[in-house]
Amino acid sequence: MTALPRRRTELGLVLLAGLVTASALTLASLGKVGEPPPGILVFGVAMLVLLGVAHLAVRRLAPNADPVILPVALLLNGIGYVMIARLDQRLAGLQAVWSAIGIAAFIGTLVVVRRVRDLERYRYTFLVVGLGLLLLPLVPGLGRNINGARIWIRVGPIGFQPGELAKIVLALFFASYLVERRELLAERLRLRILLPVLLAWGVSILIMVAEKDLGSSLLFFGLFVGMVWVATNQWLYVAGGATMFAAGATVAYKMFGHVRTRVTIWIDPWADSQNKGYQIVQAMFAFGSGGTLGAGLALGSPQRIPAAATDFIFAAIGEELGLVGTTGVLLAFLLLIGAGLRIAILCQNPFEKLLATGLTLIVGFQTFIIIGGVTRLVPLTGITLPFVSYGGSSIVANYILIALLLRTSDEAKQR
Amino acid sequence: MNAQIRKLGIALIALFVLLFAQLNNLQLRQASKLRDDPRNTRAIVVDFSRERGRILAADGTVLADSVPTDDALKRLRRYTDGPLYSGVTGYFSFNYGTDGAERTFNSQLAGKDATIASLADLLSADPKVNDVTLTIDPKVQKAASEALAGRRGAVVALDPRSGAILALVSAPTFDPNPLAAHDLNAVKTAWNGYQADKSNPLLPRAYRERYPPGSTFKVVTVAASLSSAPELISKAYPSLRDLDLRGTTKNLPNFGGSTCGGTAPELLRVSCNTGFGQMGLDLGAQKLRDRATAFGFGEKAPIDLPAAASSRFPSLDDLKTQPQLAFTAIGQLDVAATPLQMALTAGGIGNGGVVMSPHVLGKITDAAGTVVDQPEQKPWKTALSADQAAALRDMMVGVVERGTARNMAIPGVQVAGKTGTAQTVGSKAHAWIIGFAPASAPTIAVAVIVESQTDNDGQTGGAVAAPIAKRVLQASLGK
Repeated sequence: MTALPRRRTELGLVLLAGLVTASALTLASLGKVGEPPPGILVFGVAMLVLLGVAHLAVRRLAPNADPVILPVALLLNGIGYVMIARLDQRLAGLQAVWSAIGIAAFIGTLVVVRRVRDLERYRYTFLVVGLGLLLLPLVPGLGRNINGARIWIRVGPIGFQPGELAKIVLALFFASYLVERRELLAERLRLRILLPVLLAWGVSILIMVAEKDLGSSLLFFGLFVGMVWVATNQWLYVAGGATMFAAGATVAYKMFGHVRTRVTIWIDPWADSQNKGYQIVQAMFAFGSGGTLGAGLALGSPQRIPAAATDFIFAAIGEELGLVGTTGVLLAFLLLIGAGLRIAILCQNPFEKLLATGLTLIVGFQTFIIIGGVTRLVPLTGITLPFVSYGGSSIVANYILIALLLRTSDEAKQR
Repeated sequence: MNAQIRKLGIALIALFVLLFAQLNNLQLRQASKLRDDPRNTRAIVVDFSRERGRILAADGTVLADSVPTDDALKRLRRYTDGPLYSGVTGYFSFNYGTDGAERTFNSQLAGKDATIASLADLLSADPKVNDVTLTIDPKVQKAASEALAGRRGAVVALDPRSGAILALVSAPTFDPNPLAAHDLNAVKTAWNGYQADKSNPLLPRAYRERYPPGSTFKVVTVAASLSSAPELISKAYPSLRDLDLRGTTKNLPNFGGSTCGGTAPELLRVSCNTGFGQMGLDLGAQKLRDRATAFGFGEKAPIDLPAAASSRFPSLDDLKTQPQLAFTAIGQLDVAATPLQMALTAGGIGNGGVVMSPHVLGKITDAAGTVVDQPEQKPWKTALSADQAAALRDMMVGVVERGTARNMAIPGVQVAGKTGTAQTVGSKAHAWIIGFAPASAPTIAVAVIVESQTDNDGQTGGAVAAPIAKRVLQASLGK
């Protein structure tokens, strides 16, 4: 069997990811209280079981899939867990549960989706579901305003960010729609063809304005434009899309305070370092104080950065693991992106090809938006760092995302 | 589509290169700027969150320790009897830094100097901190503080044999507890209150303030004669009411308009201004200055507390005229001494002419109680030979037994001393006394100053300062 070497590689890497996580957790506990974490053995066993189950599932369900994606995702998940545990034990417990649910969703996706191209025909279902998920928080009584953004829904005790799932569902829709229409779209511009572009633009502006979720708005529109361009190789779509988004953003800047605030504190966070600029200034201090090697796990003060466990977790990593740690995280994401695009290139089916590209673009672009935001390279737009940030919706959605990539990879290799 | 996918890959890599460049910018190029930004309190928080060693008195009394708290700064510095010891311990404040022993011994207290014994030490956030035991004797410290009874001034007591400081009292004093508190607004209020207080309670007068030493300085004038013009000791100075000086209409009068004269021991007993003024003129500027320097004037006493003031003796250029020289010889004009310097002066005479290097550090111990550091006992200055010191000591015993320092006499113990009443502005005067006991082999030397008594009448060193010194000596000697 040709499958085995790939799986053996994966097993080794998965165990390495587990070892790194367990060691980091022990170091963090030593740094915090001077002794190893009390439940380290229980944690280690639970983690091994979880990693083992994920690996065995791939071995069983997608034996020819790429061997790098799962270990890298688990490693990022593990590093994120350690930082969250170091910041807030309660959140860490929840994150552990969400990670388990995420891996269950990962396996579930591999079980349910036996062939990715079978999904192509649910095109308009995906459109409806995707838009529905995206706009769900706007439904009165269901949506919740948290930290100024309306991106949450709450049913009973369960809170969820439907936007995290929406990006995958919409990538599915875009892929199938664009594969069908790409020749038409590539030919020449007609208003009727431009309609979907206008629709996507309208939705993204709506998210920005009504849900006050700049990050998702940017990600959603970036995903669409990127996929259109890959499908058609028409730069006009990129230029037109960028112009339209810029125009929309400019109008939003003029009309809405929350957009203006983001830009103002991006240009000069120091002017209001105790108030509006506080978060980004604290992140700057975290990166600077971390320096090259970092303060050491649990030896810095990243708890001063508001939202350190979620949007700003990369700043917490920067403070305690230094440039070495942040570079490591960047490289892990690059590995993920590289593996994802490799899958896209290797597979023959245009729908699967475009889908793999779209899914990889989501991970890459989302990572850039949030890391660029917390490092003040671009204006901050709140969004999670895939696999690393605390957040159930994000973890579950991203595990589903890599399950689709692995399924695609498995099929491509089989042929 | 593969060509586009490859281009997309390159675009994403380019974005990540931008991220990497920005990370280098923040974590390398701007790192030290960001780390040291005054708005970035991370480094301070580290110091405040970790364990900190205790400060103990010589008998083991805990003067300062750190107790765990629930807030972000995980430990609170606590001072037992804060106001009594604040002149030595100083304070440890989040907003306003440190002073006193808290500053001098910061690295030992914070465990920054601790040796790394195992891997666990290397990984632990709480380094092994050390306790600092001071030489302060709570009995003596309390006696000095109680005897001062709220009057502005200072008391320094030390062991002349070793230089160990037994008591270091500055009044008014402050409570370091509110300055070490975690409610930053409360800290600010307390700090501003102390800053606004005109009596300057944050100033450790005992070693950081200079006063004209007045007649206590006459022991230095006698010492100058003993060492470089012994003939002046047996010279009979004429009985005068005031000393006529060339170049001024303001002659040098005796205290309270009295008439006095005689040999050095007699002059010292009654603190005769006219006699010592003339002795200064007989000695000349150079000899007087040499002896003052030999006692440590003009130099900062090498005490292990921050920012000690140096005592001052005028330069030869400022001693060219008769009035300048004569007034300097009785400790007026530009002579200025810290209470610490005067205690060292007394101690040097008691210790056979050798002034020991002053220190408040007794020992540094680790968590197990093992001594990891102890100050060396070393001489600072040699002011006189043993014989000369003995001669001066006998004169000072006369001052206590039959002179102006009678209020310092203790039954059953021979005490040596010298009073001073230093003119300040108008009719105001500082009341001084220095001394040591037992005179033949002193275990304690003391200097007391009570600031600016309202007028001269009755507010002399002998009346005001001597009883304080007596209580301090008694507390130490157990008499």
